[in-house]
Amino acid sequence: MADHDAKPENTEAESKKADSQGWADHPVFVRGFLWMLYISCALAAGAGFIWQKKKPHFELEAFPVFFAIYGFVMFALIVLLGQHLRKLVGRSEDYYRERE
Amino acid sequence: MSVNSLLAFLDNPGIILTLGAFLTVLAPVALRRPIMLGVVAFSAFRLWGMEIGDSLAFDLFGLEIMPIKYDVLSRLFLVVFHIAAGLNVIYSWMVKDRSECFAALAYPAAAMGGVLAGDWITLFIWWELAALTSVFLVWAPQTRESYLSGLRYMSIQIASGVILLGGIVLVFREQDSLAIGTLSLRDDGGNFNIAALMLFIALGIKSAFPMLHNWVQDAYPKASIGGTIILSVFTTKLAVYMFARVFVGTPELIWIGAIMTIFPIFFALIENDLRKVLTYSINNQVGFMIVGIGFGTAASVNGAVGYAFGNIIFESLLFMSVGAAMYRTGTSKATELGGLYRTMPITLFFCLIGALSISAFPGFAGFVTKGLILDGAAEAHNLIIWLILLFASAGVLEHAGIKIPYFTFFAHDSGKRPKEAPVPMLIAMGIAAFLSVAIGLYPQPLFALLPHQAHIVDYNPFTAYHFVEQLQLLLFAVLAFALLIKFKLYPPEVPSTNLDVDWFYRIPGRAALFAVIGFVVAVWRVVWGGLQKLVSSIVERTYRTHGPEGALARSWPVGFMALWTAVVLGTALIVLFLSQ
Repeated sequence: MADHDAKPENTEAESKKADSQGWADHPVFVRGFLWMLYISCALAAGAGFIWQKKKPHFELEAFPVFFAIYGFVMFALIVLLGQHLRKLVGRSEDYYRERE
Repeated sequence: MSVNSLLAFLDNPGIILTLGAFLTVLAPVALRRPIMLGVVAFSAFRLWGMEIGDSLAFDLFGLEIMPIKYDVLSRLFLVVFHIAAGLNVIYSWMVKDRSECFAALAYPAAAMGGVLAGDWITLFIWWELAALTSVFLVWAPQTRESYLSGLRYMSIQIASGVILLGGIVLVFREQDSLAIGTLSLRDDGGNFNIAALMLFIALGIKSAFPMLHNWVQDAYPKASIGGTIILSVFTTKLAVYMFARVFVGTPELIWIGAIMTIFPIFFALIENDLRKVLTYSINNQVGFMIVGIGFGTAASVNGAVGYAFGNIIFESLLFMSVGAAMYRTGTSKATELGGLYRTMPITLFFCLIGALSISAFPGFAGFVTKGLILDGAAEAHNLIIWLILLFASAGVLEHAGIKIPYFTFFAHDSGKRPKEAPVPMLIAMGIAAFLSVAIGLYPQPLFALLPHQAHIVDYNPFTAYHFVEQLQLLLFAVLAFALLIKFKLYPPEVPSTNLDVDWFYRIPGRAALFAVIGFVVAVWRVVWGGLQKLVSSIVERTYRTHGPEGALARSWPVGFMALWTAVVLGTALIVLFLSQ
């Protein structure tokens, strides 16, 4: 679909932020989502002690919460370290437009 | 060629869709999309009638050319390519642009023709047609940016084709056959086989190996909305298919694939254009497939090609949902989107299914096949690769599983209140979402398409342990995201251009090219100027001698001539006298 075919909508609404608060912004939803996440994480971690691989290929796999720790740490590392890449490679939006 | 042979030659999805593409161009505007859908359906119907082992070969100048070689591997890719082509026709139902409609059939046709190719020459022809037809999708927006990007894209694709052709010539010289078969990258002495290496590089360009990857980010996000989705499917997956066919079990692929899974994660994190984020996701996802092919075990190859099948559907779904947001708002930039969940809830729902699938949450498509690739690393007792793939799984969740839905539909409120996506877009996304869930819950039909059936019958992705490890990995990664947002440690999106490998050929490369052109022009001017001066001087001298005023044009008396005749004759007489 050609980009020029796109039909931007709501140009009026865009000028002023809608005053209605969406369900996802409601503190009850946010709190509920977070609690659900905490409980799910706790259950998944607990399940690691119950169901373990019978024949693990690596010793790490035998550690009941290895995947939980690895997932948490790696995700945090990606975000906390990765954002510094912007300092190295980040340029203005028109960088190429001005040079080509 | 007999009538039966001609019919057999035409009974090829590549040919059917190509003819359909021309028919579409000639059709009235209102009939274009229905005809396109009909052509894809007809091609799928013909595919349904094909039997494993079907082939078509003929002799050309003493060489065996095999346009059709249908086996279990080609079947899997042809099935999913038909699904993708059909979904794209529906998704872009409103687009009637002639060149875009043509490319939307001709480009998948080229990819399918390549999948069916049984010899290298047939593959080369489809390979180049894929490059030539797909560039129309990049050019579709008709902006200067897309035009320049399309030129760069075509240059790289054609370079891949030229290297492929070089490799084909060398392979033919070695094997005296053009049949596509497995090749070893190294000879018995451990040295690189140049012929195989050239083919490896040609495929590597198409599958976007590290450092050869940036044509994807350069071209795909500049294409039209529907064009980006089509582009995301075919070229890289055709290359994956060829790797599975030719270089299965090549150990170099393991590390190349592992690097492919890692580096896009960081670029995707800082990228503002969400369509570009998804192009980095293509690199990452193809990396998983390349690793699986590199291990070369029955399980890992099943995992790689099965993952390709699922990925084509759920990656398309993500592109479609971002495309729908772009269609309604005119932008795909994270800084200009956000808060769309209020008015585009159905698109959000489909996007979340795509996000859960690509993240390999239990019950979704990615879960049932990614485990096979990870098992391949575990069975090979390759701890580092196994850890890298787990790391990359967390990275997929970050950029495709969370960033895409979060910054499109939630995050800050952009104030935009667009309408829900058009019905054709919703239908296409709905089908893709349904397939993503269906494969995740009931993978047996996909498993039946996998090449190593003996292995897959023993594989059960729904073990308690598999659930637990995957849920731990993903839920705790989501927890990390939630905490980073809560403590304002997640980097805000910034409107920017992030330099990647393409910088080398777009800035210094371009400057070097202009310098070379300037030098050649200067040398030409000097040489041509000197030559012009030399010719002018010869003409001038000749004119001075032979022109109307020249010495040789003067009139001489008859006596002068008689005198000279006497001198010449006298000289001849003396010479004759002396010689005797």
